[in-house]
Amino acid sequence: MTSFFLSPAFFDQAVLGITPILLAALAGTLSERVGLFNIALEGQMLVGAFAAVAGSHFTGSLAGGVLMAVVASTLFSGLLAFGSAILRGNDIVIGISLNLLAAGLTSFLLRSLLGVSGTFSDSAMAGLTRLHIPGLADLPVIGRALGEQNPLVYLSWLLVAAIAIFLAYTPWGLRVRGIGEQADAAVTLGANAVRYRIAVTLAGGALCGLAGLQLSLGSLTLFSENMTAGRGWIAVAAVMLGRARPLPVAAACVLFGIADALGLKLQGEGLPNQITDSAPYVVTLIALVVAGLRQKIDGRKLSV
Amino acid sequence: MAFLEMIDIVKRFPGVLANDHVNLAVEQGEIHAVMGENGAGKSTLMAILYGLHAPDEGYIRLDGKTEIFRSPIDAIERGVGMVHQSFKLFESLTVWENIVYRREPRRGLFIDAKAAQRQVAELAARYGLPIDPIARVGTLPVGVRQRLEILKALYRHARILILDEPTAVLTPGEAVSLFEVIRNLAVNGCTVLLVTHKLNEVMAVSDRITVLRDGKVTDRLVTAETNPTEIVRAMTGRNVLLQVGKTARPAGEIRLEVKHLVVDGRNRRAVDDVSFALRSGEILGIAGVAGNGQSELVEAIVGLWPTDGGAILVDGKDVTALPIAGRRDAGMSYIAEDRSRTASAGTASAMDNLALGFHRRRPIAVHGLLNLREMRGWARTLIRKFDIRIAGETTPVGTLSGGNLQKIVIARELAHDAPVLIAEQPTRGVDVGAIEFIHAELVAERDRGHAILLVSAELSEIMALSDRIIVMFEGRIVASLTRAEADEATLGLYMAGGRKEAA
Amino acid sequence: MSAFAGLMRTTKLPQWVGSLLPVFWAVIVGFAVCGAIAGTVGLSPLLMLTELIKGAVEGPQIFETVARAVPLVGMALAAAMPLRAGIVNLGTDGQLVLGGCVAAIIALYLPAPDGVRIVLALITGTLVGGAYAALAAAGEIYARVPLLVSTWLMSYPAKGLCGWLVHAPLADPLVAWPSTRRIPLGTRLEHLIPGTPINDGFLLIAFAAILIVFLDRRSSVGYELRLRGLNERFARYGGVAIDRQTFWLMFASGAMAGLIGAVLVLGSQYRFTDGALTAPQYTWSGTLAALLAGGEPLGAIIAAVLFAALQTGGFAMERSVEIPRVLTMVLESIVILFLAMRGAIWRRR
Repeated sequence: MTSFFLSPAFFDQAVLGITPILLAALAGTLSERVGLFNIALEGQMLVGAFAAVAGSHFTGSLAGGVLMAVVASTLFSGLLAFGSAILRGNDIVIGISLNLLAAGLTSFLLRSLLGVSGTFSDSAMAGLTRLHIPGLADLPVIGRALGEQNPLVYLSWLLVAAIAIFLAYTPWGLRVRGIGEQADAAVTLGANAVRYRIAVTLAGGALCGLAGLQLSLGSLTLFSENMTAGRGWIAVAAVMLGRARPLPVAAACVLFGIADALGLKLQGEGLPNQITDSAPYVVTLIALVVAGLRQKIDGRKLSV
Repeated sequence: MAFLEMIDIVKRFPGVLANDHVNLAVEQGEIHAVMGENGAGKSTLMAILYGLHAPDEGYIRLDGKTEIFRSPIDAIERGVGMVHQSFKLFESLTVWENIVYRREPRRGLFIDAKAAQRQVAELAARYGLPIDPIARVGTLPVGVRQRLEILKALYRHARILILDEPTAVLTPGEAVSLFEVIRNLAVNGCTVLLVTHKLNEVMAVSDRITVLRDGKVTDRLVTAETNPTEIVRAMTGRNVLLQVGKTARPAGEIRLEVKHLVVDGRNRRAVDDVSFALRSGEILGIAGVAGNGQSELVEAIVGLWPTDGGAILVDGKDVTALPIAGRRDAGMSYIAEDRSRTASAGTASAMDNLALGFHRRRPIAVHGLLNLREMRGWARTLIRKFDIRIAGETTPVGTLSGGNLQKIVIARELAHDAPVLIAEQPTRGVDVGAIEFIHAELVAERDRGHAILLVSAELSEIMALSDRIIVMFEGRIVASLTRAEADEATLGLYMAGGRKEAA
Repeated sequence: MSAFAGLMRTTKLPQWVGSLLPVFWAVIVGFAVCGAIAGTVGLSPLLMLTELIKGAVEGPQIFETVARAVPLVGMALAAAMPLRAGIVNLGTDGQLVLGGCVAAIIALYLPAPDGVRIVLALITGTLVGGAYAALAAAGEIYARVPLLVSTWLMSYPAKGLCGWLVHAPLADPLVAWPSTRRIPLGTRLEHLIPGTPINDGFLLIAFAAILIVFLDRRSSVGYELRLRGLNERFARYGGVAIDRQTFWLMFASGAMAGLIGAVLVLGSQYRFTDGALTAPQYTWSGTLAALLAGGEPLGAIIAAVLFAALQTGGFAMERSVEIPRVLTMVLESIVILFLAMRGAIWRRR
């Protein structure tokens, strides 16, 4: 077993597993910081994943796929921004219906636009290509995991740093923190909470678009119905565990990514995939329980 | 022409004429008190001045220019600052972050934190409001938070500072030093609008007074030329302050006993080794500046908040381990401080609101099933008995005025006929008529031999109703007095943390 | 609080109409958006509409609708019960699967007479579904893990476990798709109306539905749930034991889902097949129906029946004019989304 855990493939798999969850969790982190509870991450990712494949297929270029993923998912998050930030509807109910809408819409479009049900793949379709970063890539064992990923993987980690710096050191970050903590105080000082909420929700949509892109064009080039498979919810859990602070949230994502890789690895060892597929969810649930017992989760009740 | 004028201001809310052609004129550098009872319209008037509400009629003239404030941003822009009664602060952020918010000194794309801290320190020194710029607001005591609110306004170059009931959260001693600060500001050319209903403060600090009643200006007075009686007459239309008719009465056996109670609050010990006994036929008042553990004490007694040591006994029975229902069954009822968040459900009907606690007992419930006819009759009876102004028993209570909603709460809690009644701020934010009614009900309850624990931040209420008074400071009981021993000065000293020896 | 809840409590006609109006508009918007989506991908919106309606109610299709309404109403109630108190169970999928799987196992392997087996299969399926949901409730009570997240995430391992059972140890080697063996005739729920897909499950669910509506309106327990939904702090202040209520409420919700699983396996699928219980998306539509009604049970039932008609229509539409029926689910979500945005249901507190 030991050899397996230390294998390059394991670390590579872990990094691949982390990326989409991390991007979505960053979106959730930003939302949480302006006082919106974004549980539509799952749906936004799914829209992004579909749009990436559709865009890449119809334009025949990777750029088309990237563009479509980001645009579609951002537009979709506009529904959340409109309903939740502007009309002040219940963000949880809107989130639930958006997740279901995304699932329905993508599988409808899969049938009507791409003419298949279940899974669409096109071998001619361009996916994200792996880079080769000299030095990093030559490291033993973790070389492939760190030095030979696609650009989106590196972007996701840059975004963690960028968002952490944005929140801590810029005027706009301070305003975001203020709005999330005590919106009416921010408003009396002239901060436009609604505008910040819209901006953050749309930015979150773009991040989820990238997360979806990584899922559908990151290592494979295919879209299948409900391919997000709860990753958006795992991202929501990561935001809770990290209490919406970028670095702890990223750490939680790393944990979940490793669980994902572990599941795949155990499957390789002969365990049935129905059981190993459950690994990330079980690990997430255990993490939530442990954190909850140690009182690390916000005391806030999450009810509609 | 005065420096600041509010001219013919009219503001209507559904069912209420909050401001009825109000005129207010204030000179530069003046300390101007805006007085009135609850519901007189003073808060609405100030909200209009600060751009929180748009007036339906009338306008504001500031420094000779006619102004329309669409939002607080406009008001801040023109030099109006406001310190709200409930502070508007970011508790997890630092003092300097709270002050420079949205007016951050920058270096490139980033906040220049060093410069911000320096500016805050300078500002604090200039106005004699000492504060640590890098402290987290959540760790600061109330008095310092108020200082921070004033600094926030001054950082924005406020020329007019509105203080809404600023002493509500202060000890009498802290209030005195706040007045020092206010006078100092006025000397430096800052105009101060002091919203309050406390006579002694107005007499001590203001230059002129505008009195409101039922949305109208009833008098404009110069402080030096008036006296409290004249102000009271303008505020209430009567010559004297409210008096509660109450006869002396011997207390009976112990009903509620609290022994060495310890309660941990959110970030600190909120109640520290508190013991007292409450007897039938007496009203025990708990005095203290808000935030000294009274809320936590009450919530721990009723079971809304967990205890961390000590015991609570009702009629000699230990209820410390019981849930809320068990404590209520043991003979406790509870008028909660926050009537709309805790003591009622605004979207539910009066019928539903009045049935809570009776919904598992005969005659409203039989074998776990509700008798809707009984429930309706029950609601009608209570509505009639307490003279609650409501369209019908199916009307949602969220539409009621503060006084009527409080009557719903009191009707239900008194109907339990429990030997122990805990009344927390029972008259906060209700109109004068309702205050009288509620006070009379509480006294009647005492005369029936029930034991009442009264928590109030209003010293006048404590003094008017209590048979005995205990004073809380920083989670401890610092004094226990009979009504005869208590006067405002003594209580004020204890509320500021003074010990018996010091008195 | 919700359009429906208000509606159900009053009898005056104007208020009736007034509170239904937002729902009416939402349905119009839903159809318009779906028509537009269909139009942009080259399908006829008008055809969509007529085929939908015909497919839902024409001739024997009405029986299809009723048969479909049975599980859907059940799942709507499973979702509505916790929603009434302001908490969510998004894990009814997993509870449904567990109930169905366990019922199949009992029906196939328990050495007992047929009648006993079928009853025990129903009861065990119900209890297991309830226990799984109650586990999530315990997580919230003791470890503060929010139900919103835990219920959803707990569905995956439940589905995974049942999937594995029928892939390996319990698999019927004679069929290609992973399933248990076929449940013998004596242990199946009988057809209520011969020649239609309506079976005894209809009676079970109808009874449960009537019971729930009655308890909601006329019992102390229902009163406590409703008040908690309106203001949880108020309910607690009045002595409602919130944690105990959460636990049993989630148990009831999961039990309902488990019962539906058992009924579907014993009454129409006759074996537990991996994915067969979740494929028709009863959970999804049930949750939306419950949300539409603001957790009010009668409203949820009505909405679920309407959704069932819509979906039966969707099947017909797909067969006859080749418009994918998943569009009906898009329609359902748009209706809820629109209402939630407008604050007509689930106003932010």
